[in-house]
Amino acid sequence: MLLLAFGIISVALVLWLLHRMNNTDAEIQKLALNLSFIRYTMWLLGQVVLSSLTVTRLVWGSRKELKPTIGKLPVNKVPKKSRVLYANSITLTPGTLCIDIDNENVTIHALNEESLHSLKRGDMADKVPGENKGVS
Amino acid sequence: MIEIISSVFLIVGAFFSLTGAVGIFKFPDFFTRVHAASVTDSISTILIIFGLILRTDFDLVAVKLLFILIFMLLTSPTASHALAKSARHGGLLTLAETRSDKKVGDD
Repeated sequence: MLLLAFGIISVALVLWLLHRMNNTDAEIQKLALNLSFIRYTMWLLGQVVLSSLTVTRLVWGSRKELKPTIGKLPVNKVPKKSRVLYANSITLTPGTLCIDIDNENVTIHALNEESLHSLKRGDMADKVPGENKGVS
Repeated sequence: MIEIISSVFLIVGAFFSLTGAVGIFKFPDFFTRVHAASVTDSISTILIIFGLILRTDFDLVAVKLLFILIFMLLTSPTASHALAKSARHGGLLTLAETRSDKKVGDD
């Protein structure tokens, strides 16, 4: 009797799970794998190589060149959906590290001031792909 | 020919990996060390996995390696960010801030 009850419970559980999975299956998943995203990925890989070389030079060079700075950048221009991608890109390129992100600013730690300035110029913020650019 | 290109990729990747390791020891504080580790995370991963892909027969193994690369590139910045954010919120100061604190104290 106990075993039968366990069997019934597990069958009911599986049916419930399958029902839920069926609902999830019907949801539309959008993967934005268009041309602009691929172009951005290529550009990002180039940036990763360039900034890796900079950090490599800092590692093998003298300690005097090391001037870590911290700064805040506005993220108003970047659409909300792309902010994760933006922060991830900042962290992925060596030399810059995204420490904190809120509604207005990202806090960035950089190994030298030059890389912080190049982020401030906003090349990356302009290039981050987003569905509705300018409307956040 | 492909063997040679792959070897070059692997050796350069190993060099960058070593650079990251040396940087972790050489850099002065926590935040700069995270930067050094991110060299290993990004360029060294890319180079080593591309070197390994060139050594496959461009079959399922190559696709699996490509997926490993994509997931590494997605997750490693997230891990660095989680580390840095928790250090920051835990009250760890950066090197510049520690120095300026000292200056203020000297004055």
